Amino acid sequence: MHLTKEEEKIYEGEEGWAYQIAMRILVKLGDLFKADWLIPIDSAHVSGVSYKTIGDAAIELFEALVEAGAKSKVRSTANPAGIDYNHLEEMIKLPEMHRKQAKIINLYEKMGIDPILTCTPYYISRPKEGVHLAWAESSTVIYANSVLHSWTNREGGPSALAAALIGKTPNYGVHKPENRQANVLVRVESDPKDEAEFGALGIHLGRILKDEVPAFEGLLHPNEDQLKHLGAAMASTGMTSLFYPCASCPKSSSRLETISVTADDLKNASESLSTTNEAPDMIYIGCPHCSFKEMKKVAQRIKGRKIREDVKFWVCASRYVREKAESYVRMIEAAGGKVISDTCAVVTWLKEIGVDVLMTNSAKTAYYAPTMNKTETIFASLDECIEAACQ
Amino acid sequence: MQIELKGRPIMAGVSRGRALVSSKPLSFLGGVDLKTGKVIQKNHDLCGRRLADTILCFPHGHGSTVGSYVIYSLVKRKVGPKAIVNETADPVVVVGAVIAEVPMVDKIDISQIRTGDLVEVNGDKGVVRIFREEKPCI
Repeated sequence: MHLTKEEEKIYEGEEGWAYQIAMRILVKLGDLFKADWLIPIDSAHVSGVSYKTIGDAAIELFEALVEAGAKSKVRSTANPAGIDYNHLEEMIKLPEMHRKQAKIINLYEKMGIDPILTCTPYYISRPKEGVHLAWAESSTVIYANSVLHSWTNREGGPSALAAALIGKTPNYGVHKPENRQANVLVRVESDPKDEAEFGALGIHLGRILKDEVPAFEGLLHPNEDQLKHLGAAMASTGMTSLFYPCASCPKSSSRLETISVTADDLKNASESLSTTNEAPDMIYIGCPHCSFKEMKKVAQRIKGRKIREDVKFWVCASRYVREKAESYVRMIEAAGGKVISDTCAVVTWLKEIGVDVLMTNSAKTAYYAPTMNKTETIFASLDECIEAACQ
Repeated sequence: MQIELKGRPIMAGVSRGRALVSSKPLSFLGGVDLKTGKVIQKNHDLCGRRLADTILCFPHGHGSTVGSYVIYSLVKRKVGPKAIVNETADPVVVVGAVIAEVPMVDKIDISQIRTGDLVEVNGDKGVVRIFREEKPCI
């Protein structure tokens, strides 16, 4: 990989250990993926924030980086943590977890990474079309590439952090126009109707597509929220980081291998995400974190109803969306639900707060919860979730 | 007897030690205990083995990118490997070797290496040397 004189100096350690380590990460990854040079990025989004998922491993490195003066060079934001400190009554009660989580957030902040603690940074600041980013969190990445038309590889926690500190990323993968061409056509024979069905479609496709770039045929005017669920699910079971919602979109040619998805495929994918018929003890909406419109939808459907005492009803959204949707938050709370920020069902401690059976309209959460949270799952539409929650 | 295997240099440095060889991909997050450096990944051929001071040879990493931070912590706590040899380097292990400053080489046929072999990894040149005592034929 070609480095400028300035980049060489950082690589040799002239700007200190923190930037040297960050530059080494970018250069080694660049070499591995045959990048030609480093390109400037508009923003970075780092994953690896929840103490539940990263444990003690990262703390020592972050402390060393902070000690060595590491500061991000571009707007940088952080993924959800394990605790919402504004709703401690809902959270795990172990003080050690609270302390360690606070420490991780504090270390990121010291490195200049804004603790927005959401997987939907794009609702707070929507990147421009065509800009390069270094974002981690697979659902955030696929949304950026496919819905926002900004360009990012599927970064991991460490590579996004290194990119934040240098303000650049190696030029490979979907940063190159030739790798953004659709290479498979997906013909959807059964029109998915809600976010859960879009999620089921994503789960099915992720399993067969691996890292291909699909273009869809037959999705009738999907909205951004539905595409968010489709992408999040596809990136959970597969390595896809870019898709085209309609085959007539630019950059996709007509002569492509075609995959057909039938109503049975969607049904099977849906059913594969439920592990039990037992009654849920938590209903979870908000993976990925809810948009303003999704908050409105949940609020309107739950307005005037009463959630059963024996079930938790969580709706997760960023602090930013929560504040914007204040009136909807009040409606959800009046029904007995909680609007939680800064964390989500997957990266918080569910078992420890008494959740054994989780019901959700999120295909991504339903896919991860049995392994990440050791819960049973029920995957259902938003309407079914609300019916199950209410008296 | 000395066997020299030529691979690709990933992380610079030279280390010598006893090989610990696995035929299975390893996930560092959840697969290795941070305090003891013991492999805890279920159904893994190294399950129960300690990584401390070994020349760790395995096909490639898998799982969460947080695995890189795990490699860093293991090495800082002196319960991590002295060098890493892979068949195909993946981002998680590469970044781990870079931040932990552990010599690493890939593109090596690790089936040539046996657990317990005395091995030298040269991360500058991308070379792995195996020093094996010749056993007389009986």
